[in-house]
Amino acid sequence: MTADRLFRRSFDSLDEIFAFTADFFALHRIDPELLPTVDLTLEELFTNMVKYSPAGEPNIRIEMAAAEGGVEVTLTDYDVERFDVTQAPDANIDLPIEERRPGGLGLHLIRRLVDTLQYEYSNESRRSRITFRKTRS
Amino acid sequence: MLKIEPGGEGVVVIAGRLDAAQCPAAQAFLEHVKGAVTLDCRGLEYVSSAGLGVLLKTQKRLTASGGKLRLVGVSHHLQDIFRYSGFDQIFEIEPAG
Repeated sequence: MTADRLFRRSFDSLDEIFAFTADFFALHRIDPELLPTVDLTLEELFTNMVKYSPAGEPNIRIEMAAAEGGVEVTLTDYDVERFDVTQAPDANIDLPIEERRPGGLGLHLIRRLVDTLQYEYSNESRRSRITFRKTRS
Repeated sequence: MLKIEPGGEGVVVIAGRLDAAQCPAAQAFLEHVKGAVTLDCRGLEYVSSAGLGVLLKTQKRLTASGGKLRLVGVSHHLQDIFRYSGFDQIFEIEPAG
């Protein structure tokens, strides 16, 4: 009930990631209504890794596990600086349009969409691990 | 994949997935629209924060010249995304029927 795979540190990996999640959902009969949120969360976390850790190892690992009523997903990034996604500030969504700027919404959004979001960092191995869970709850 | 094309007078039809990899194509199309534009989202399955950035940039440009971008046929999932982003305050949004 688990699967894991390495993905190249590139925006071009998104289609492969979405195919990986779709296959996993189909194989384990996970509620397809959860898939857009899982894909969105993966995209936001993965593209952050691509943008902000370009010097990390060439590949990023994604692991998926079926969980009660949904799925748990872990992204592991190697040889990177610490960046705790659970502590990033929320976007100010109440600004008038003149003051709104594109960007900064990704982590704000996913914190509202997933059940849990956890971050671990190993100083010794410079490894970041982000785990999130999404269920029908 | 993403498909974006004219859908008649003042209407643009967008379908598929507006993710980070598809944003350049969406941006290239939307930077040419003018005035009051209805974006038909009935076939739009997915929008990430990168896609929201494209919509915001378009709305800012259009409203600065008296126009606007209106979103119609928006799915329940996308309504949640727009609400959490505060886009329900800066776009007129019509849910899917």
